Amino acid sequence: MSGGEGRLASLIGDLRAFGAAARKEWRLLRRYPSLFIGFLFWPIALPTAYVLQAQGYAGSSVAATNAFASRAGTGEIAGFLFLGWATYMWISMILWGPGTALRTEQVRGSLEAIFITPASRLVVIFGPAVSQVIWALWMFAVVGMAMGVFFGVDLGLAAVLRALTVIILAVPALYGLGALFAAIVLRFGEVHALVQTVRGLFTVFCGMTFPIIILPEWARAVALALPPTYLIGDLRHVLLTGASLTDLVPDLAILLTIGIALCLLAVVAFRSTERYARRGGSLAQY
Amino acid sequence: MNASGSGPAIETNGLVKEFERGRRTIWERVRREPDQRERFRAVDGVDLSVARGEIFGLLGPNGAGKTTTMRMLATLLEPTSGTATVLGRDVVREAREVRRRMGAVLSDGRSVYWKLTARENLEYFAALYHVPAGTARQRIQAALEAVTLADRADDYVERFSTGMRQRLVLARALLPDPELLLLDEPTVGLDPQSARDLRDRVVGLREQGRTVLLTTHYMEEADQLCDRIAIIDHGRIAALDTPAALKRTIAAAEVVRLELPAPAPSNGGVAPVLERLGRVGTIAHSERQDGALLVTMHCRSARDFVPAAFDAARDAGTVIRHVEVVPVTLEDVFLSLTGRGLRE
Repeated sequence: MSGGEGRLASLIGDLRAFGAAARKEWRLLRRYPSLFIGFLFWPIALPTAYVLQAQGYAGSSVAATNAFASRAGTGEIAGFLFLGWATYMWISMILWGPGTALRTEQVRGSLEAIFITPASRLVVIFGPAVSQVIWALWMFAVVGMAMGVFFGVDLGLAAVLRALTVIILAVPALYGLGALFAAIVLRFGEVHALVQTVRGLFTVFCGMTFPIIILPEWARAVALALPPTYLIGDLRHVLLTGASLTDLVPDLAILLTIGIALCLLAVVAFRSTERYARRGGSLAQY
Repeated sequence: MNASGSGPAIETNGLVKEFERGRRTIWERVRREPDQRERFRAVDGVDLSVARGEIFGLLGPNGAGKTTTMRMLATLLEPTSGTATVLGRDVVREAREVRRRMGAVLSDGRSVYWKLTARENLEYFAALYHVPAGTARQRIQAALEAVTLADRADDYVERFSTGMRQRLVLARALLPDPELLLLDEPTVGLDPQSARDLRDRVVGLREQGRTVLLTTHYMEEADQLCDRIAIIDHGRIAALDTPAALKRTIAAAEVVRLELPAPAPSNGGVAPVLERLGRVGTIAHSERQDGALLVTMHCRSARDFVPAAFDAARDAGTVIRHVEVVPVTLEDVFLSLTGRGLRE
């Protein structure tokens, strides 16, 4: 087999392995169906609590609603909060995803068995995380339904398709971050503290439950360096204010650029930490 | 089977693996303080050449360096120095090619997914091994049949016994149809029947023309399975030959194990007893255990030696409480080479 044919066969093998990793994870998830019930409850309960809190503060005050609209760009408070929380929960899943998958394999004792196969390390990092797309779709569907049924927010098919485009363009950035956490797992064998910290930062700076315009100038600068800010902001724009994708080209270009940079960084970091683990013998340690 | 060229299946030259003992705090790293951790060699200059088609054993006690050697060959650990080639490929520079060509059992049944069926486990790993889609189903079935799990293929692994799970791990290693298999302590934790069953399967692998490198600290297992054995201790190869040739290095036909009451220090301790016993045979090993003195002796004929040993004990003012005559084993070879037992 020539070098080119060998590389092609290897690529095809990796793509199949990628699918198999996602399928394996999905099969494992299916064995615990009660998890789906949890995911039916939280995407509704959490944002609802914030919507009720907002109503508690503002009541039926038109002035308060207008003040919110002037800062957020929409008066649709329920939609604003639901989208913020849904995105936050999805981001959390992705941040935990690759690192947790790797950690689970390490604790289970299967990581070495995987690492002695010829499959690309990208399969190991991202394959299991792909199954979480199903969770994400499930969660966004639940949120969309809850917004419509409980708060009368009508999203419309065209807006949903635009939102899907935004989500797809955000995938490299979020999965890049997730892969960086996976690299940290290989190096330190633990990622919880860091993920919690980053999630906290995202909650404060990225405007999950508030418009970032209310942040001080320095904090807004931080917010604009974080990919979730663009994701949440653009989702709200396309779903709640009727913005077109053309309106969002600068934002989406930044999101995609950050995403590519993060993915490259993650690959370099993962290779480096894998080498470290091979030298120190920490692949199977936990 | 995927055969790949000629030459030895495994070759190592001056293979060394060093680890650090102790820990280095983050504060020490941040301050760039010199690394003062003690370095020790888990593998210390191992030279091996494993021929294709043989079952080669690494025999040694826990911590001897067997598993570290195995992990370097499996590309899970990078050698500190020296070289290792597997089926003609360098384990560092051509790691992915090495992984493509070998199967390995480096862990116990914990490393399979208990919430998946045996077949689902193998489907996943077949894809990771890049088994072509057209042959995967057939390869999985063949692997399941090779370890006699075909009738339980669609059961969840959580319902398997320890032995069945270990057989499934072996089936997983067979998925790439490898020319070489690395088996690290494959029978540890198995009941005698399951261990015997797995050993039979290892012999079957050689009959299929595969090379097997296995580590074990069970001398009977090494003796029964291996064409050649490297006895490894403190990271170094102490001896390497066929089991029969290794046993011939003991200048004795039989081994006699004696148990005597441990003499009190006020009576001169063990020295006078050992001195007298040493006049009638070769003392290979002695130790105090639970108030007894256990002495292992080599002799040409137990028939002649045992009465002389009783006389020697009586002359030393003690008695022999128990006598056991056994043929020379690899344990005795290890004992004579290192002065320690395999299980110490």
